[in-house]
Amino acid sequence: MSVASIQRKRRRETYLVFIALCAFTFVNLMPLIWAVLTSLKDPKDAFTIPPTIIFEPTLKYHWEVWFENDFVRYLKNSLIISAGTVCISIPAGSLAAYALSRIPRRNAGPILSALFTIRMFPHMLLAIPFFVMGTFLDLIDSYLLLILALVAINQPFTIWLMHGFFLEIPRDLDEAAAIDGCSSWQAFRIVILPLARPGMTVAALFSLLLSYNEFLFALVLTGTNTKTLPVAIASFGGEDITAWSLSAAGAIGIMLPIVLVMLALQRHLVRGLTAGAVKG
Amino acid sequence: MVRWQRGLWLFFLPSFGLLAVVLLWPLGYAIYLSFFDYYLGSDVRSFVGLGNYADLLTEGRLWNSMWTTILIAFGSVALEFIVGFALALALYRLHQSAKVFSVLLFLPHIVTPVVAALFLKWMLASNWGFIDATLLTFDIVPPDWLGDPIWAKISVILADAWVFTPLVMMVLYAALQGLDTSVVEAAQIDGANNWRVLRHIIVPALIPAIIFTISVRLMDVFRFFDIIYVLTGGGPGTATETITIYTYQLGFRMLEVGKASALGVITLIVVASLLLTINRVLNSIYRGGDQ
Amino acid sequence: MASLTIQHATKSFGGLEVLHGVDIQIADGEFVVLVGPSGCGKSTLLRLIAGLEDITQGEILIGDREVSHLHPKDRDIAMVFQSYALYPHMTVEENMGFSLRMRDVNLSERKDKVRASAEILGLTNLLGRYPRQLSGGQRQRVAMGRAIVRDPKVFLFDEPLSNLDAKLRVQMRSEIRELHKKLGTTIVYVTHDQIEAMTMADTIVVMRDGYVEQIGSPLDLYDRPANIFVGSFIGSPAMNMLEGRIGGDRQSFVSNRGTQIAFGAPVSPEADRKVILGIRPEDIGVSETGTPAMVRQVEPTGADLHVNLDLDGDGFTALFHERLPLEEGQNMGLKVLADQAHFFDPDSGKRIE
Repeated sequence: MSVASIQRKRRRETYLVFIALCAFTFVNLMPLIWAVLTSLKDPKDAFTIPPTIIFEPTLKYHWEVWFENDFVRYLKNSLIISAGTVCISIPAGSLAAYALSRIPRRNAGPILSALFTIRMFPHMLLAIPFFVMGTFLDLIDSYLLLILALVAINQPFTIWLMHGFFLEIPRDLDEAAAIDGCSSWQAFRIVILPLARPGMTVAALFSLLLSYNEFLFALVLTGTNTKTLPVAIASFGGEDITAWSLSAAGAIGIMLPIVLVMLALQRHLVRGLTAGAVKG
Repeated sequence: MVRWQRGLWLFFLPSFGLLAVVLLWPLGYAIYLSFFDYYLGSDVRSFVGLGNYADLLTEGRLWNSMWTTILIAFGSVALEFIVGFALALALYRLHQSAKVFSVLLFLPHIVTPVVAALFLKWMLASNWGFIDATLLTFDIVPPDWLGDPIWAKISVILADAWVFTPLVMMVLYAALQGLDTSVVEAAQIDGANNWRVLRHIIVPALIPAIIFTISVRLMDVFRFFDIIYVLTGGGPGTATETITIYTYQLGFRMLEVGKASALGVITLIVVASLLLTINRVLNSIYRGGDQ
Repeated sequence: MASLTIQHATKSFGGLEVLHGVDIQIADGEFVVLVGPSGCGKSTLLRLIAGLEDITQGEILIGDREVSHLHPKDRDIAMVFQSYALYPHMTVEENMGFSLRMRDVNLSERKDKVRASAEILGLTNLLGRYPRQLSGGQRQRVAMGRAIVRDPKVFLFDEPLSNLDAKLRVQMRSEIRELHKKLGTTIVYVTHDQIEAMTMADTIVVMRDGYVEQIGSPLDLYDRPANIFVGSFIGSPAMNMLEGRIGGDRQSFVSNRGTQIAFGAPVSPEADRKVILGIRPEDIGVSETGTPAMVRQVEPTGADLHVNLDLDGDGFTALFHERLPLEEGQNMGLKVLADQAHFFDPDSGKRIE
């Protein structure tokens, strides 16, 4: 085969791959597209055979779900709980991650494996004691309990992720700081922390996202006062078919901020997802 | 540790203190509870030793949920791996447009899982769901996607795959990008066809990433809760009741927290041994491939 | 300013001992270079002095004060790192003033001292810049500025020039010398480059495998290497070594392959003694009646003529300062003077006086 014919064949293959990927992407995004369409439909357009594709869109239900159905309050709960988690998880986690990146490898190794092991605990096994203790301490339906639970499942991941960022900051800087007169704490605060800020932002966004999306703990530890968005939408949109447009509007609204955060995080996405990969 | 850095041990205190209080203590408490017959709300809790474990292991519902979990786990992980790998290879092939595709394909994974489950529910709902409405247009009578025991299982697997395939794709795509392209090109120049390049060059180089994705996915699938909860709630009957859903029912619906804790401990043991086995098997394949 | 005493410094990592009881006495204001191949322990020794590694056994004294177990910040030393280790998020001025800031020196005094140091190093125009906006040579100078601003007792340099290109390295070499002359502070300087060591040091410490091989002035080491290692390590191109024995007249040497070299005067080892003869390439002369050798390769560098020779199968290097009309394959005669021949004991490797 000549080089030209190989190249022609490759180009044809690439073209086919492109077409196939377009088709797959479209089918794959159908549930999302369908939900967006539903959220803009009046019931008369929502319940039809064949499904209505062309209709007069309305934002009525988006307005209704947020301002006439308490979703603003759930959003507030979600934000308080997510922010609370980040505010505990990131400072504590960054201290540990920094120390982990500076102690000798033979000491850091076992700690890292232990953290990795903790990540695989079934959440259900943690939810039960939290629920029981919460009941005793009368903490069910309080922000604090859910925040603590989220910190528990968040912390190992946070440390893992930030540990990688701290490793990239050369140890020479710690040593230079020590010679210049810094204690470990001063070196961390004045020299290392400002350099770790990008990594900490990424870790914070990831842990924000995790808390915002979390469902199991939110379901069992919150009540009417502290209900978060995922719990609200699950109980709201799950059953009642006549409220389709309304719940679709709610679901889309919950999704939007995450999509924005994720687009911002794109560059770090894979890194966050693979933090904890044993190799690479 | 070097003397001047000894102060670093103090840096572990806040985090590890926190973990001890919010993670290890509850975990210990759960293990403690698993030895009691304890109905939350009653004042009595009686020590039953391994009674809860014995009850669970001799009852059909545990085994049913165990099989369901394993079925869903292997079904969805296999599906995710095959589709995710294919997608990663396709993205790798495309170069320029890959970025747009990767963002679009990744969307299902970043959506809040509960919301994703709702999206799928509205696709699969009988009569008015998108799929049924479309099929009915052509007078095809669709199966009851979420109401039929077998179809419900398939639907759950598809739902899991819809949400997690993008993750597998991304990790493998990242690993592919880390490949040394000159090796692939050299093989192509030597006349290896696509299939051979894939089998003899790409796959061996990706083994660490593959081990990672498969173990992480299997580990996650045992925690898989929100999507099933929203989509089928474990039904119809107990057709899609996984161990996690069963634990939820025991602990939070029937408030049998002692028994539910025992089930949690069993799950932990199963997950841990499963992961150990998988890691060992995959690692030995990996080393075998090296020689 | 202060002297520096290292007594029996020993360092182990785990069970592995990398420094075996090193003793070095450094006078106040002395410029000492630690030199040796990589892995010889020179950097470890420097880090022990800085306090960045814990000493396993032995003592380190700065002046009369024992500092062996003090925190680096309490030793009153300053260090210039190979990577410079400038703080990326601080300007040149903040970098240089950082150690003063950590010692609670007030702002105006800090500013004065930074400006004074910047002036010495020609950094005045760069004070507002960040490290990433500087060239390699400028970063190097900032790293030195950070060290001198505090006026510490001892400066430590860890291969500071290895990230610079050859031309800049030569320039910085003389700048550091200059700086030392101006400040008069004791300097301990680590390098693997023997030319750097020769050109900069008052005293060179040659190290190998965690032992000190020789301590002395550059010319001392060049003229009277204490052993084979120092002989071949110091000087470029490296010293030629030939194994053989002294002739019965004590005025010649016979190599194991039978090559005869006549010195024209008696040498120090006794007759018939087994020795290793060391001859520096630049000490080889030409003589019609001398030891015959075959020219294998001629490499003119412009200033010198670098010639690879064959002595009955032994490779030999000669360096001539005049442009001899030599051709590859031709034969020539070599001459070595008695006082330019070095003799080492083949068993211990030590110099024979």
